[in-house]
Amino acid sequence: MIVDARGKACPLPVVIANKALQDRQDNEEVQVYVDNDIAVQNVKRMAATKGLEVAVTEGDGYFVLTIAGDIKEEAQAPVVCGCERNTVVAVTSATMGSGSEELGKLLMKGFIYALSQQETLPKAILFYNGGASIPTEGSVSLEDLKSMEAQGVAIYTCGTCLDFYGLKDKLAVGSVTNMYSIVELLSQADHIIRP
Amino acid sequence: MRRKELCILLTFSTTTEAMAMEAHASAHGLPGRLIPVPTVIHAGCGVCWKAPIAEKPRILAAMEKEQLPYEGFFELVI
Repeated sequence: MIVDARGKACPLPVVIANKALQDRQDNEEVQVYVDNDIAVQNVKRMAATKGLEVAVTEGDGYFVLTIAGDIKEEAQAPVVCGCERNTVVAVTSATMGSGSEELGKLLMKGFIYALSQQETLPKAILFYNGGASIPTEGSVSLEDLKSMEAQGVAIYTCGTCLDFYGLKDKLAVGSVTNMYSIVELLSQADHIIRP
Repeated sequence: MRRKELCILLTFSTTTEAMAMEAHASAHGLPGRLIPVPTVIHAGCGVCWKAPIAEKPRILAAMEKEQLPYEGFFELVI
């Protein structure tokens, strides 16, 4: 059986693949076509939770996941797509860790770059207090933040903080938020990462 | 979907050398940026200079001319 999930946003590739596995006859192989790394990882994870074998081949701008085997009775775990986890990153300082300020800035730059390279991105990134300078004009992390925003990550910066640091007109990515929204985002998060 | 591109990566023996490279590049308009060293190069901690592959001759010429130390040179799709 072949199913095409190219052009489908997460979590549809997982849903489509899962349905194909349920509908297949006599445990036939299912080939799932997707067009991005995140879908590959999510479909692989879903198949693994069912105890199935997955082989991935890459074409020109797409991937084919060939899923084979019997669904293990004991492995009937619920289908969970990594992108459904509500992870929020709270950046509270322009530096990462305490100690040298110069090193701390370097580490924070590296953290935001590494974050942007993850297969599963957070739902939102919050910037407050000293962290409010990071999404503003002239910041070395703008490219990474814009890339994540383009992929659906919500980027919010504390308005009070921008005002305090004289950066109100310098915000270059994302939008301004307030304390009520910050509290809501943090309290509803499954995971909070604070570099 | 994040687009991967062929890049050059320069690793350094020390973080201080990496910072010196960043300062030099900033002062002289050299393209590139510091990023954490990708784990396919080594699993340790550290930062490296990443620049587009097209800038390879310019970067290497500047490193030699300015006697900027670096440890390793890699070409990698990231």
